[in-house]
Amino acid sequence: MRLEKCWFCSSTIYPGHGIQFVRNDAKIFRFCRSKCHKNFKMKRNPRKVKWTKAYRRLHGKDMTQDSTFEFERKRNRPERYDRNIAENTLKAIKKIDKIRSDRAYDHIKNRLKTGKIQRQKQARKQLEQDIHLVKAPLALAQDSSLHLPKITVNVSQTWTEENQPMEE
Amino acid sequence: MVQYSFKKITVVPNGKDFIDIILSRTQRQTPTVVHKGYAISRLRQFYMRKVKYTQQNFHEKLTAIIDEFPRLDDIHPFYGDLLHVLYNKDHYKLALGQINTARNLISKIAKDYVKLLKYGDSLYRCKSLKVAALGRMCTVIKRIGPSLAYLEQIRQHMARLPSIDPNTRTILICGYPNVGKSSFMNKITRADVDVQPYAFTTKSLFVGHTDYKYLRYQVIDTPGILDRPFEDRNIIEMCSITALAHLRAAVLFFLDISGSCGYSIAQQAALFHSIKSLFMNKPLIIVCNKTDLQPLDRLSEEDMKLVMEMKAEAIKTVMGQGGEPSNEEGVLLTMSTLTQDGVIAVKNAACERLLNQRVELKMKSKKINDCLNRFHVAIPKPRDQKERPPCIPQAVLEAKAKQAAEQEKRKTEKDLEDENGGAGVYSSNLRKNYILANNEWKEDILPEILDGHNVYDFIDPDILLRLEELEREEGLRQAEEEDTEFEMDGNELSPEEQEALAAIRKKKSLLIQQHRIKKSTAESRPTVPRKFDKYREFTTERMGRQLSNMGLDPSMAINRVRSRSRGRKRERSFDRGDDGGEAMDMDVDRPNKMLRVRSRSLSMSRSRSRSRPPSEVVPGEGFKDSAQKVKAHKLAKKSVKKRNKDARRGEADRVIPTLKPKHLFSGKRSIGKTQRR
Repeated sequence: MRLEKCWFCSSTIYPGHGIQFVRNDAKIFRFCRSKCHKNFKMKRNPRKVKWTKAYRRLHGKDMTQDSTFEFERKRNRPERYDRNIAENTLKAIKKIDKIRSDRAYDHIKNRLKTGKIQRQKQARKQLEQDIHLVKAPLALAQDSSLHLPKITVNVSQTWTEENQPMEE
Repeated sequence: MVQYSFKKITVVPNGKDFIDIILSRTQRQTPTVVHKGYAISRLRQFYMRKVKYTQQNFHEKLTAIIDEFPRLDDIHPFYGDLLHVLYNKDHYKLALGQINTARNLISKIAKDYVKLLKYGDSLYRCKSLKVAALGRMCTVIKRIGPSLAYLEQIRQHMARLPSIDPNTRTILICGYPNVGKSSFMNKITRADVDVQPYAFTTKSLFVGHTDYKYLRYQVIDTPGILDRPFEDRNIIEMCSITALAHLRAAVLFFLDISGSCGYSIAQQAALFHSIKSLFMNKPLIIVCNKTDLQPLDRLSEEDMKLVMEMKAEAIKTVMGQGGEPSNEEGVLLTMSTLTQDGVIAVKNAACERLLNQRVELKMKSKKINDCLNRFHVAIPKPRDQKERPPCIPQAVLEAKAKQAAEQEKRKTEKDLEDENGGAGVYSSNLRKNYILANNEWKEDILPEILDGHNVYDFIDPDILLRLEELEREEGLRQAEEEDTEFEMDGNELSPEEQEALAAIRKKKSLLIQQHRIKKSTAESRPTVPRKFDKYREFTTERMGRQLSNMGLDPSMAINRVRSRSRGRKRERSFDRGDDGGEAMDMDVDRPNKMLRVRSRSLSMSRSRSRSRPPSEVVPGEGFKDSAQKVKAHKLAKKSVKKRNKDARRGEADRVIPTLKPKHLFSGKRSIGKTQRR
């Protein structure tokens, strides 16, 4: 039993899921769900379909080269069983996984960093320029801190006279 | 092989069918559509193609016929003669000749008409030429129709001829009709020839096969021969004569010594003598059949004499071949096919004689030298008298003995299975023969899948080392990350600043929304000057609120506003308070008059939305004064009163303009049923 990768979206195919298509030249295409299968039948190129891993890797959205990928290699020759190695492997898989996902996350974060910086700059600029919409220049002169003004003004209370019947 | 099997000749169609086949093929395989508007060269080409195509097809088919039928001169003379006997060589050749001439004629016709077509100047003319050409070709074929039919008959008959190989070992059985030839044939071979009491049951040659000394012999059963002059013989007898004449075979001449065939021994002897010339160079055996009815010893004197004469002749042939004269018994044999007495002996004798003769001939011929070269058995000359048996080392013998013992002692998996309950109950433990570093690990279960990864892809003897390296790397990387993050953090906005930014953005979006509303309904909205705001939006309270939100103290502004525009507001409120129905235009001098009242209703000038009395004229409505408005109101109510009382549908009541719009009630349903579209 092996977990395969979907040819279209590169997600893992668990046993009991998906469809395999064997072409006349004996190349096998595995799909994780009918969405990928139908896209394939429509002859769409996964490198151009935004939500697939192929696209993301190609356009640098996700991490492509890393030493953690070297650990997972399909071996064609079976190795003789050794309990110690097996134990170590099982423990290692978890750690490697964690490291890999951390790195992937950092990759995306770095990618989004420039956008973040830009947005911060824009926000600051907008704050400086349009502060007049929420804070009068007079108040600004008094307290130039770009915060919302804290003045609460008392409007004089003469409401008692108003409580008369409307119709006269 | 054409030599002895004529089964592969293609069917010869009769005249009509032939024409039909060719013409329909022409119609199907050549283009059919042509118009008179085409270029003349195209028209000519079209018709020429048809003529040529038809001619080619005829040519092909006729050539096939001519080639496949055997040429009587080229095949083995036995077959040549046989075919001549059966079908008459001359007729056969004539028929084939006619086919040939037909072929040539058709070619000539085609050539001529193609030449004519080259100069055809209209569609009609070309078409007529083509029709004429095809017509003539078909007439030719019609004329040779009888020949085709004859050839078809021949073909069918030829296919059923027995496949006799003229060159192999053959035994020929001949004699008078009804002497027991076919019964003998049935006894020694698997052939199932008809055996009946009447003469001429066998009407043609039959072939069977029998084995002797690991060699295969053909046995040919012939129809009976009567004693007649050669010219009088019929076709059936001629078949056997032909076989006798051409096949190099051992001949078994059958003699019915009981006379139950209807012919006496004298007649049979006479026959023998008349055809003995055919027995030249062939091993001859005289077989006396039906000894169960009449044994040979009890023959009459005359018959015995005749038989002895025949035997003498037979011996002479033996002598002629140079064979052993001592083999007298091999020349005259007795048997009975009914009791199967001596049948095998006859067969063996015949086969033996034939074999010997053939071997002798081969030895004398030149080919033997080629064969002899291939036979050579080398036997080393013994040097001395010492015994030299094969040598087997002791170790090998011991190992063999041990292996034999082990085979018996070892317990197989199958035995184990049987002990533990059979095939369905016990499944053998495949792991017990594993070769591992530590035998305790044999029953270990290793998961194949972990966290969405295949475990086998990760297995590596030095995975720990690599993992350590990786973790070191990771530590370094994370340290770097922290540094860069630390640098980056300075630029963020504080929470109050974020609040301010949010407020700014909200305000801005509100402004934009309002602008959009205003923009879109500019044409439908009446343009009323803002100073008459209907909904009492623009009040001092509001202004105060807005200013205080901005951070300014509004009290000064409010006071100023009150002091300035108090009159108008108050007048309005005064009017409101007292009575409606005053003139709408605000005179400037009015405020002076109303100054007194100001103080009282000072408070009333606070902008606060109030409901107006119905008679009060709002500037945007279009009434002259409140009296007019009241009258209008009354008129409106009156006009509607009657209808309302009658409960009739009014303006405000819901109305469906079309009860059955076409698009909902017609057309095919893309989804759903007609009941509920």
